[in-house]
Amino acid sequence: MILLRLISWPYARKHLVRWVLTIGGIVLGVALLVGMYTANQSVLEAFNRTVEHIAGKTQVQVSAGDGGFAEEVLERVQSDPDVRAAAPVIEQVVDSGFKGQGKLLILAVDMTGDRSLRDYDLEGGDEDVMDDPLVFLAQPDSLILTRDFAARNGLASGSKLAMKTMEGDKQFTVRGILRSGGMTSAFGGNLAIMDIYAAQKFFGMGRRFDRIDIGLKDGVTLEQGQASLRKLLGPGFEVEAPSGRGQHFESLMSVYSMTMNIASLFALFIGTFIIYNSFAIAVTQRRAEIGILRALGATRGQIRSLFLGESVVAGLAGSAVGIGFGLLMAQGLTASTNKFMESVMGVSANADHMLVRPWLLVTAAAVGVITSMVAAFLPARNAARVDPVKALQKGQYQVLSAGENRRRRTAALAAIAIAAGCILFGRSTVAFYSGYFLAMLAMLLLTPALSLWLSKLLRAPLKWVRPVEGALAADSLIQSPRRTSATVAALMLSLALVIALGGMARASYMEIADWMDGTMNPDFFVTTSETISARTYHFPDSMLDGLRRIPGIAEVQPVRIVRINFRGKPVMLVAIDSLSIARRTRGRRATAGDFDGMYRAAAEQRGLIIADNLAQLEKLKLGETLEIGAPSGILRLPIAGILQDFSNQLGTIFIDRALYRRLWKDDAIDVFRIYLAPGAVAADVKARILDGFVHERRIFVLSNKEVRSYVFKVTDQWFGMTYLQLFVAVLVAILGIVNTLTVSITDRRRELGVLRAVGGLRNQIRHTIWMEALAIGIIGLTLGVAAGAVNLYYMLTVSRQNFAGIALDYTFPFGIVGVLVPVILGAAFGSALFPAESAVRSSLVEALEYE
Amino acid sequence: MSNTWGRPLACLLLLAGSLAAEDARQIVAESERRGRADSQRYEGSLEVISANNKVSKKHWQSDRLGSYGASKAIIRFTEPAEVKGVALLVVNHPERSSDQWMWTPAIGRDRRIAQQDRSTRFFGTDFSFEDLEERDVNQFDFSLQGEEAIDGAPCWRIESKPKEGKSSQYTSSRVWIRKDNYVPVQYENYVKDKLVRRLVEKDIQDIQGIWTARQLEMTDLGRKSRTILKLENVRYNVPMKDDDFTVQALRRQM
Repeated sequence: MILLRLISWPYARKHLVRWVLTIGGIVLGVALLVGMYTANQSVLEAFNRTVEHIAGKTQVQVSAGDGGFAEEVLERVQSDPDVRAAAPVIEQVVDSGFKGQGKLLILAVDMTGDRSLRDYDLEGGDEDVMDDPLVFLAQPDSLILTRDFAARNGLASGSKLAMKTMEGDKQFTVRGILRSGGMTSAFGGNLAIMDIYAAQKFFGMGRRFDRIDIGLKDGVTLEQGQASLRKLLGPGFEVEAPSGRGQHFESLMSVYSMTMNIASLFALFIGTFIIYNSFAIAVTQRRAEIGILRALGATRGQIRSLFLGESVVAGLAGSAVGIGFGLLMAQGLTASTNKFMESVMGVSANADHMLVRPWLLVTAAAVGVITSMVAAFLPARNAARVDPVKALQKGQYQVLSAGENRRRRTAALAAIAIAAGCILFGRSTVAFYSGYFLAMLAMLLLTPALSLWLSKLLRAPLKWVRPVEGALAADSLIQSPRRTSATVAALMLSLALVIALGGMARASYMEIADWMDGTMNPDFFVTTSETISARTYHFPDSMLDGLRRIPGIAEVQPVRIVRINFRGKPVMLVAIDSLSIARRTRGRRATAGDFDGMYRAAAEQRGLIIADNLAQLEKLKLGETLEIGAPSGILRLPIAGILQDFSNQLGTIFIDRALYRRLWKDDAIDVFRIYLAPGAVAADVKARILDGFVHERRIFVLSNKEVRSYVFKVTDQWFGMTYLQLFVAVLVAILGIVNTLTVSITDRRRELGVLRAVGGLRNQIRHTIWMEALAIGIIGLTLGVAAGAVNLYYMLTVSRQNFAGIALDYTFPFGIVGVLVPVILGAAFGSALFPAESAVRSSLVEALEYE
Repeated sequence: MSNTWGRPLACLLLLAGSLAAEDARQIVAESERRGRADSQRYEGSLEVISANNKVSKKHWQSDRLGSYGASKAIIRFTEPAEVKGVALLVVNHPERSSDQWMWTPAIGRDRRIAQQDRSTRFFGTDFSFEDLEERDVNQFDFSLQGEEAIDGAPCWRIESKPKEGKSSQYTSSRVWIRKDNYVPVQYENYVKDKLVRRLVEKDIQDIQGIWTARQLEMTDLGRKSRTILKLENVRYNVPMKDDDFTVQALRRQM
């Protein structure tokens, strides 16, 4: 502590700006970790809280994917001798219609029976929650609201409330207010109770329920109850405790949160290099100080502890600031995660407050400190090894020894050889990830040598641009590769991630565009919402004939989209008119199987088609028989074909709609794909569709262009991390380069002083520093692009094998590189401004006296 | 209680067969016999008076077909306008709980009322769905507790308890049956030892040879609210068809 106070603190105070920049890496990593984790957990917890509050006394829930099931199932469940109470439920999330109030969760129940499971008479009050239960049931426009929601929006019993329904905008009447507490805190209080049969009508559910909530008889255990119900209902139903819904939500969210976590890890990894760089530089600068300490009797251990102590302080400071920033970030990220889950996954959590877990903060602080200590370990060890005699000789600086360089090169070549072996011969996940790690390690090990080589290569062009300044800038880099290489390594890693993400985004865009050209080619999509992913409302089958009769329409393809449980994962099931779809989507890419054959097999109900990402994720092969639990029994069909498909990140199964209707007893439709007759005017047909249906139901007619732009918007949301990572890369560039230049100037004070003493102009000093910074930027960019090219290969493989199962072609993102070049060089130049001015304005006398 | 909610409730609460209670059983059986008719029709008016004296009113028409224990009944709400057309079909079974369906014309849907909810209130009144049921006399034990006058009329006081295996929200019930005409005039329903509901029958008239209470007042002692049901135009043995007491018939009324 004494050494920290007497030795470290004065040094840190003298180089305060640099230390602030140094801990910036930790701040960023910790902030991303805390922000993203907190946001994810807040959304997940909000969902779980809603599930828990709504569940009431429910012990078991029966469901069959998000398409629901026929209401006859209720009587079967009620006949189970282990069941005490069974209550049907429909849950829908709708726009509240009030500005700033977001979504409203509609919990539709049968109030004549639901009280066995849920307590509506909250707080033991003696007043009814409903004004008149019979009127509530008799009038389908009845709603019960929570007291909070009603108060926030100036509503009371008898108030009218507009809501979008399958039958268009409807006025609902508030016929009850739930007291605060218990269930009313579900979905952030934005909860409305509706009669379940009214909900069937208003949301186009037909005679279907979403799920059945069940209370078991006394003495029946959860396991017994589940086993009994599973036996009764068969494999087409999920029989789970309410908490199971949270797990489904989590698995949907995991794809998104994984992307977020990668960015956080990279930020910390990059932060390690920045800290390493700073400590390595500090050790170099403080060699004389270390020499004196050693001469005065300080042991090697004390010197090592001194530097490690400094790293702990830096880690703590960085973590503290990072946690603060992370919590601020979490607010915005929570909203964006909410939005993502709603728009892409079709599930809503309505997280209204942040869930800050103390253990996360402790972990984040520990991660920050450990990262800092790991980064400082090698410099601390080097400091401990400093020879006091040499250290006290002026003008002696550490350089990379030829032996050290050779060892690194040898290790790098070995790593490259093993990584190549893993690609060529490795079949297991472990081999693949080992290869990935070794490839990146090789890049890092080669960074000093490559930086040196590139610095030498840059000398001529720099000299050509500015003979004196260019040569000085290049020489500075050549003489001190250690000073530059950590910054370059950090920049390289960051750019490697940006390029890989950018490459994935570009490949995805191209593949999605290709897929949409082949698949999403109808002229119109008739849907129940502004987006094609929302599935709150459904069309009845009866609408199909009405659409077919409209002049100007050549073909109508009804599509039903539901999420089902397949091998424990929420996979999308798409029911289509197989032959019609086949006829119209000939441009679609079949990964396996004959295109016509697979659709024929699907139409004849002797086969099904799966998306290539499902085949990848579940390791499914053409011809393999799949078992899918349906409400009316098990569907056992072979895979007749595998198609390129981007509908769902967790995979999609296509079956014929006739088969779906038979087994799921569901004839609802989510989307009509409309093809116009030759010569038909699109605007006229759209008007006819709207005229025909808009008065009786909620309907949107989306043009092909609108749907395409929506799909690309969703893709943008997926790859939004690319932009965040670009920001991280720029920040890393600035942090690293400022740090390196500051040290470079300190190291070269005498050299710069001499230059000025012999007539060097201030502008020449400035240009030297600027060119040095630009050179670091160029080296970082060059190595970053190379590492990015390698990283992209691995990321595409990760995406295919373990992430979304989507096979993307390797396409190098030249566009992203085109953006990175000016951005990074601009950042490098910007980073050089302050150090250059500092060098120019330093005292000449002091600089010459330095030696 | 010689209406849909009258005598059935007496039987629900009383019937049993222990030796010690043979007199009580005979009394209840006689009460049931005297109230028997092939069918019954009446117009009911219902007033629910909450603890804070908020009053809501409804009117309905009730048809009942068949003899006690295996009867079928339909209640059709006629007023107010918001509930007009809502109907409830009750099909009683001697050996088990009744089946009940509700019809809501505004959405054109019938719904089955689940067995689990028999103890909940009947559409905001102080009656529960279970109170509407006719139950098998053999599913209850009963005993004569003594004699007591109600409104000056001498009555038998009889206690009933559901037999083991018989599900009921009530632990026990007491009924007061008039000695002169075997009409039950008061009921008290207990959960454990706590009195939860009391039904008082008034305005007892001889209609077509059947003594009929024309006013029933149910009090929920926990909620401190009460429901008054008045019967108008009571007629017995009106010609009715079995087909009119089905779920399909409920749907047909659209």
